[in-house]
Formats: sequence, C-alpha cells, structure tokens
Amino acid sequence: MDWMRVKQALLERAPEALGVHIVMVLVTISIAIAISVPLGVLLTRPKYKNLGVVVLNILNLLQTIPGLAIIALTMPFLGLGLKPTIFALTVQGLLPIARNTIAGLYGVSPDVKEAALGMGMSHKKILYEVELPLAMPIILAGVRTATVYVVSVGTLAAYIGGGGLGDLIVTGLAMFWPEFLIVGAGLGAILAISLDRLLAYVEYRITPPGLGT
Amino acid sequence: MIMEYTENHFSLVLAAVIISLLLWVPVGVLITRNEKLASMVLNIANTIFCIPSLSLFAVMVTIPALGLGRRSALVALVLYSMMPLGRNVYQGVKVVDKSVIEAARGMGMNSWRILWEIQLPLATPVIFAGFRIAVVMTTGIAAIATYIGERNLGRLIAEGLTRFNIEMIVSGALLIALIAIALDTVLGIIEKQIVPKGLKVRRS
Repeated sequence: MDWMRVKQALLERAPEALGVHIVMVLVTISIAIAISVPLGVLLTRPKYKNLGVVVLNILNLLQTIPGLAIIALTMPFLGLGLKPTIFALTVQGLLPIARNTIAGLYGVSPDVKEAALGMGMSHKKILYEVELPLAMPIILAGVRTATVYVVSVGTLAAYIGGGGLGDLIVTGLAMFWPEFLIVGAGLGAILAISLDRLLAYVEYRITPPGLGT
Repeated sequence: MIMEYTENHFSLVLAAVIISLLLWVPVGVLITRNEKLASMVLNIANTIFCIPSLSLFAVMVTIPALGLGRRSALVALVLYSMMPLGRNVYQGVKVVDKSVIEAARGMGMNSWRILWEIQLPLATPVIFAGFRIAVVMTTGIAAIATYIGERNLGRLIAEGLTRFNIEMIVSGALLIALIAIALDTVLGIIEKQIVPKGLKVRRS
C-alpha cells in the first residue's frame, strides 16, 4: 500500500468520478422509467394483449446480451463520451423495468378490475387508482434491479470514455496499482448497495397496506 | 482464435457453475435449518450481488493468493451465483408443504431421507429457476473477466473496442448471447426431465 497513491485516488480522482457516476445512473434510470413504464402500460391494454407476450419474450432474449457488448456496440455509432454511455445504459435499464411493469400489471387480479368497473370507474381511473398502485411494488423492484445493474455496467463506461468510477479501476488495472482498484471498486460497491437499500426502503413504504408479505 | 476464446469462455462458465452448485446448494439447504443464519447469508449474498462486476474482479486481483487470471475470475463468478442459487435453494426447500414432511416422518423416514427423497425433489422447479438465472448471468459476466487477463469471448469485444472493429464486437456479443441462450435451452430440457410429474410449474 502506497499512501500517496491512496490519497491521490481518494482525494483527487474519486470525487469527480463518483459525481459523474451518480449523474450517469440518475439520468439513465429517469430516462429508462420514462420510456418503459408507459410502454409496459400500453402493452398490457387489451388492444395490444398479444403484443405484450411477444415483447416480453424479446426482452428476455435481449437480457442475455452482456452489458459489455451493448456498451461496446454503441461506440462505433455514437462515438465516445458520456452521451453514448447514457444511451447504452438506458437500453440496459429498459429491460427489467418494462418486464416488471408488464408482469406487475398482468398480476393484478381480474376480479379487482371487474369490481372497479362495477363501481363505475372509467378505464383511465382504474389504471391510475387500481392497477398502477397494486403493481407499484413489482415495478419498483424492477427499478431496483435496473439501478444496481446500471451502476455495475456503468463502471465499464470508462472503456468508451464515459468516465465514472470505472476510470479509477481501469487506471488501476493498467498500472497495476491496487490502491486505485480498491478505491474505485469500493466506491462502486458502496454506491450500488446504498442505492439498492434506499430503493428497498421506498418499495417497503409504497406497498399498499394489505399487500405486504 | 475464436475457437480458443469460445473454448475458454465455455470452460470458465462451466467451472464456475459446477463449483457454485457444489457450494451453494448445500449452503442453501443448510440455512433452512436456522432462520437467523439464513437471513445473514442471504443478506451477504444480496450485497455481493450488488457489487459492480468490474469492481469485484478488480478487488479479487488485489488479493495476493488470486492475482490476475482464472482463479480471480472463478472466485468472483462463484460469489455472484450465491444470490440466485442460494436464495432459490433456500426458498424451494423452505416452501415444501409441512404436511408432506410430516407424512414422510410418519412413514418412518429420517431427516436425511426426507431431504433427499421429499424436499429436494419437490424443490427442483424453484432450484432450477435459480440455476438457469445463475448460468445465463455467469455467461455474461464472464466476458468482463477479459480485463483481468482471461482470454475469452470478452476479449473479442474489448479488442474490437480498441481497434474500432464493429465486426469483432458484434461477433463477440452474438457468440456470448448464443452460448447463454443455448445453455438456458438445454437446462430447460433437463428441467423437464427431472422435475417430478404433477409439479410442473408454469414459467412466466
């Protein structure tokens, strides 16, 4: 252990890298939610029912493409930097959220929907006041999975110039400086774990009473 | 070259999966006996699962006993499998109907036989679901091990990236995805053979 290098990694490089990483994750997840939740809602409407199953299968298949590959594939088309990184990460984040939105909305019991219809609720009201609240814990679980995933794949962004904590790890691997590796990896792990715990708490709070396990 | 990379990728995944099975299935079974231990182990598994893969590989490299190369990659991959596999084994064994176990005990089976002949067979659908997730995940993450010196399909992607060679990136990505899908399909077929009749769970 070289304390000079620990200091260099922790004080000079880490704050910026961590900041970039957090911004990267937040932007990505916001975009991913904004796209995939409406998409999931649309695909579960009776009109597109058959399409929903097809899309679900495609998403399952897409999930097998490794994160490194998606990151690498964006580079030739969008170049280097933060923007292509955010694009690649958004593609990754879409899948779990869309999948869980569809699964959550399918999981709402038809009896409940029928009861709401019988009470004179319009389809729009049923969606906002019955279906979405009931599906919310599952949707949030998807957001949580996506977030952890994006933090993880985000460390690979360093290879296409996206910055973030991966920069420290890449430097550490190239120069074989364990100090850089540990600082970069440790902060990445802490970021992922704290976001996971935070979302778990939100998930716990948002679950309607009577739905909790 | 591609053959060598594919072979390396495959053997790394296979080794990681076999070690994970040998390690996490017994652990999963063991923690069903002790609630406190279970929540501790599952929490640890969850936490490890959160750690970004490049980070975990990087940390493994700094441990002198592991160093650059296959051993670090293996340890990291096995640690990742702890979550899907250990949790599903635990849940699968745990949810076996109490009355079935009591009936078995009434028939004079000891706990060892109950485990082997009742609990594990009844838990196979859940265990298999976790196993399949672990295998697909391991195949994908193994690609990243290329940055710690593993010569596998990830190398195609990494080299394509530095050389600006789209064909290399695409072929690497496709091969990895194909291996993952193939393994998943094969496991699906095995699952159909192994799962006891009348227990077929519909997969969503």
